[in-house]
Amino acid sequence: MKERISALMDGELEGRAAEEAFDLVRRDGDAAETWRIYHLVSDAMHGQRLLSAGFGERVASQLASEPAVLAPGALPGRTPMQRFTLAAAASIAAVALVAWLAFAPQPQTAAPVAQASSPAPAVVLLPHEANDYLLAHQGFSPRVTLQGMAPYVRTVAERPDEFDK
Amino acid sequence: MSPWRSAALACVPLLSLAGAAQAQPADAVTWLRRIQDATHNLSYTGTFVYQHGERSETSRITRLASADTERLEVLDGMPRELVRTRDTVRCYLPESHVVKVERRTADRNFPALLPGELATLSRNYDISLGEVRRIGGFECQAVVLAPKDNLRYGYRLYADNASGMLVRAVTIDAAGNQVEQFTFTQLQIGRVTPDMVKPRHAASGWRVEDADAAPARLAGWSLNAELPGFQKVVELTRRMGESKPVGQLVYSDGLAAVSVFIEPLAPRREPLRTGLASLGAIHIYTREVANHMVTVVGEAPAASVQRFANAVQYRRP
Repeated sequence: MKERISALMDGELEGRAAEEAFDLVRRDGDAAETWRIYHLVSDAMHGQRLLSAGFGERVASQLASEPAVLAPGALPGRTPMQRFTLAAAASIAAVALVAWLAFAPQPQTAAPVAQASSPAPAVVLLPHEANDYLLAHQGFSPRVTLQGMAPYVRTVAERPDEFDK
Repeated sequence: MSPWRSAALACVPLLSLAGAAQAQPADAVTWLRRIQDATHNLSYTGTFVYQHGERSETSRITRLASADTERLEVLDGMPRELVRTRDTVRCYLPESHVVKVERRTADRNFPALLPGELATLSRNYDISLGEVRRIGGFECQAVVLAPKDNLRYGYRLYADNASGMLVRAVTIDAAGNQVEQFTFTQLQIGRVTPDMVKPRHAASGWRVEDADAAPARLAGWSLNAELPGFQKVVELTRRMGESKPVGQLVYSDGLAAVSVFIEPLAPRREPLRTGLASLGAIHIYTREVANHMVTVVGEAPAASVQRFANAVQYRRP
């Protein structure tokens, strides 16, 4: 079986032999797994980025959970509860992405400073009023002796809220 | 190559060099002096990029050494500029028609890396020479300042072999990530005329906000625990914008400085906005102490700035 799959991948099978091999991959779980692993090995050898284990399965189940009009046949067999779970998982993934973006080094929007009520203080980008403090502070920084005025640029740096104007 | 990749690559030699730190400290310290001398003694004009997070800003800096005058002009967005002379810094803000003036206080010159301060510096950082690298057409020597603890950032300074001018300065956190970077994209040494350091804003009719800084003792205020390696360098009162007098204490570890601002809470003031904020290597932490607003500003990791703020106390004198 493995030789046939390997030959199929290498394009050595033609016509009926190829069709039979494809059929095997479709029907036989072990054959399908071999097909997947061989592709993984091939991708790795060619320096292509690897997808994590079970990626195909996850894509398939994600697709199944989408109310896609073009693939109504994919839904039967799944209970509403299962669909809900998958949809919820997708939502959590979306929330995780948003949260990750929110904690990226430089948020594109100015977050309010007044986050002291939250348990752990979140780091936000400096508010515009902070420039006064930066200017007052900068003159005492020994860095100025090595860099001249360059660090002073922080005292007049534009803030994201100003970009939005 | 993206700046992030370059930064990540630049950090790799940092680890391998840590062992070599003891080998040539004298040379590395000599390089720091060279950088300081070049920054002070040369006339130059150049364009540099300040990069922090995913943001970058381009500015022009020009120094006329004979007049001890330096001008910084932001080239992106509003044409804000700063002009520093021997004893004042003026900050011109065209959008609000305001000039902010900071004067040198009587007991404190603008800091310099004097031999004593270099000793402080080497107590807190392992100073070593890094690789030689070409940056913007300049053959540069890297000087690496690796912090001896996690209370401060690390630095990679790239100085032009020929002139000693600092061409690139990278601030690195404990994880080896770049926090911010200054890089000259163009730099010309010499050929600076007095016109080039004149403010472009006449600023007539603009509001002048003078800091009126004066040495003072802030009675009753102190830190109940000082942060290792940081020493108090100045204590003064000043104005901030149009505010009432504000107290300022400055601590330094030889390279990074932390300021503690103390201002009375006005009865009508908006609710105090406390918490942590950052811009590149700068962190600001604000909290309320004894009916005062305490704001700590420092070129230091968030945890250090917070430790400063949490140590501020008031005892009735």
